[in-house]
Amino acid sequence: MFFYYLDLAWRSIKKTPFLSLLMVLAISIGIGITITTLNVYKMASINPAGERSSQLFAVQLMSQDNNFWETINEQITYQDAYNLSKSKVPVRQAAMFRTGLAVQTEDVNVSPILESVRVTEGDFFALFDVPFAYGGRWDKLVDEEGGYKVVINEELNQEVFGGGDSVGKTLLLNRKPYQVVGVIEKWNPSPKYYDVNNGAFNDSARVYVPFSLAPIEEYESWGNNQSWRHEDIRTYQDRLNSEMHWLQYWVELDTPAKKQEYQQWLAAYVEQQKLIGRFKRADAHGEISDVAQWLNFNNVVPEDNKVLVGLSVLFLVVCLVNMLGLLLAKFLKRAPEVGVRRAIGASRLQIFSQHIVEVGLIGFCGGALGLLWAWAALYFLSSKFELEASLAQLDQSMWVIAPVIAVSAAIIAGIYPAWRICSTNPSVYLKSQ
Amino acid sequence: MLSMKNISKVFKTDLVETHALRDFNLEVNEGEFVAVTGPSGSGKTTFLNIAGLLEGFTHGDYFLDGVNISNLSDNKSAVIRNEKIGFIFQGFNLISDLNLAENVEVPLRYRGFSAKERKVRVERALEQVGLAARMKHLPTQLSGGQQQRVAIARALAGEPRFLLADEPTGNLDSLMARQVMELLEDINKAGTTIIMVTHDAELARRAQRNIQIVDGQVCDFTMYQSGQTDNKTQSIADAVSVA
Repeated sequence: MFFYYLDLAWRSIKKTPFLSLLMVLAISIGIGITITTLNVYKMASINPAGERSSQLFAVQLMSQDNNFWETINEQITYQDAYNLSKSKVPVRQAAMFRTGLAVQTEDVNVSPILESVRVTEGDFFALFDVPFAYGGRWDKLVDEEGGYKVVINEELNQEVFGGGDSVGKTLLLNRKPYQVVGVIEKWNPSPKYYDVNNGAFNDSARVYVPFSLAPIEEYESWGNNQSWRHEDIRTYQDRLNSEMHWLQYWVELDTPAKKQEYQQWLAAYVEQQKLIGRFKRADAHGEISDVAQWLNFNNVVPEDNKVLVGLSVLFLVVCLVNMLGLLLAKFLKRAPEVGVRRAIGASRLQIFSQHIVEVGLIGFCGGALGLLWAWAALYFLSSKFELEASLAQLDQSMWVIAPVIAVSAAIIAGIYPAWRICSTNPSVYLKSQ
Repeated sequence: MLSMKNISKVFKTDLVETHALRDFNLEVNEGEFVAVTGPSGSGKTTFLNIAGLLEGFTHGDYFLDGVNISNLSDNKSAVIRNEKIGFIFQGFNLISDLNLAENVEVPLRYRGFSAKERKVRVERALEQVGLAARMKHLPTQLSGGQQQRVAIARALAGEPRFLLADEPTGNLDSLMARQVMELLEDINKAGTTIIMVTHDAELARRAQRNIQIVDGQVCDFTMYQSGQTDNKTQSIADAVSVA
């Protein structure tokens, strides 16, 4: 009977095209707005670390003196990063920050490009599952002793070397030669969870250089630098020795036992720092947060987004109330035909089902049109209001979610009109037709 | 086949109670062709609606094929309507969006017949009323008489035990009316019980039995004329004849 009802629904829609179009428009606008906000919320809420989310931990230290900052900072100092790197507990670990360098090749005809560069350790690539097209990370020795090695991504490789295996080639960074040791494939986790301070939804860097070169090359920090006290920082060495929080630090702890062990190690480290008088506050402590906790801590998905989703759902409800009125008018107009159908053997349930299928079809059409509205709205938001491209992408799941929400919402709106029409007394209309 | 005992139907509003049927008694045997007449507002249509399970009643018992159908659920009523009863209305009541074949097919759909079975039955029913060649036409493309014949085909397609016809010729000219009446007679001869409400005395006379409804009560003239009636029926008949 479902296909029979579907056929009747289609005929009914064709019979009253204007009224049907009004209903489809009403639900499509509600769905379009709901899907737009839901999409932004969902894209912002994605945990890009996937299965490794619970094995990767950001490290934080409550190291400031009393009466400064009442919350734990999301970054740590260079001193702490240096000390933390001595721990043997993590499977992998990496300190990092963002800098900017002029990139060029040995070809004098190629103009230099100012690039955002990630200064990090070799473990970074395995830590975050960065895929390599050619080569790989730099040696561990480079992390210990320094070395002019660089990893670039495929896009930059294409721009400066014309693509292909560029391992072994030389790239000039601020006019200094760095040897390319790896070319990474397309990799752009969104949100950029390993560094949410510098634009959680910005693209990943195209260039990666060893952290061990920072004291030598004195890379500037292009990220947030937060100090809880005034320090007279004149030289790069002053910065390294300061209490300025400017580095991100991640560890991989692959088992609960490892996690516990590292938490104990971190607690011991804090106690040691207290003993030497560096950490002065009584509640100084270290914390580790897995990726989900980290995104939550940094409020990557602002509360505003949730409110917006709620408001858009309310708007959808308003659209559905309008649709309910239109459905009621449309269905009651059909009461004589329903009277005939009831007289010749249709039960109330069959009449109810027929009308619910019609409502579902209208909802489905509304959902499809709503998806188009959502796509257009995201395009408009990204082009006019600089909404991050990763957020403006219509998630594939919306192709399923939109019709499901639209059909369900339409059916909810259609229950009362369908019930009214199937409850009418057929004999009233048989004589009057 | 159809037995109504002391049926009464009261329509109530806040201020008024209207007795559409009162102590209504009627027996219709299988294969009969019964014409029901009576003045406007006498309760003919209410009787037909109750007989067709389209309306409930306030008191009494109604047996159809020996089954007491008082207080049946909506689903069971729908099944009985679909399987045992065929309706023919004065206004034809065809569904204007559906072509003739689709109109005739409607009750068969609700009955759950396969597509093949539906096709056979639709073709047979339309052939029976002489409209097989026009099965793809829409109702609006037909004359009134043809539309009524389609309505009859729709009623016949499910091979019902009896037909309820509410002024089936009321909207037709005399020639068309005669053709429809002849068709109903043929159907009755084939074994289908027919109860027909009509205002047309000539058509009523062609039925095997005439009953008149007056003020919600039945007066069986056939029985009255043969002297086989009770006092109540006789008094009603007398009153009608005096009037």
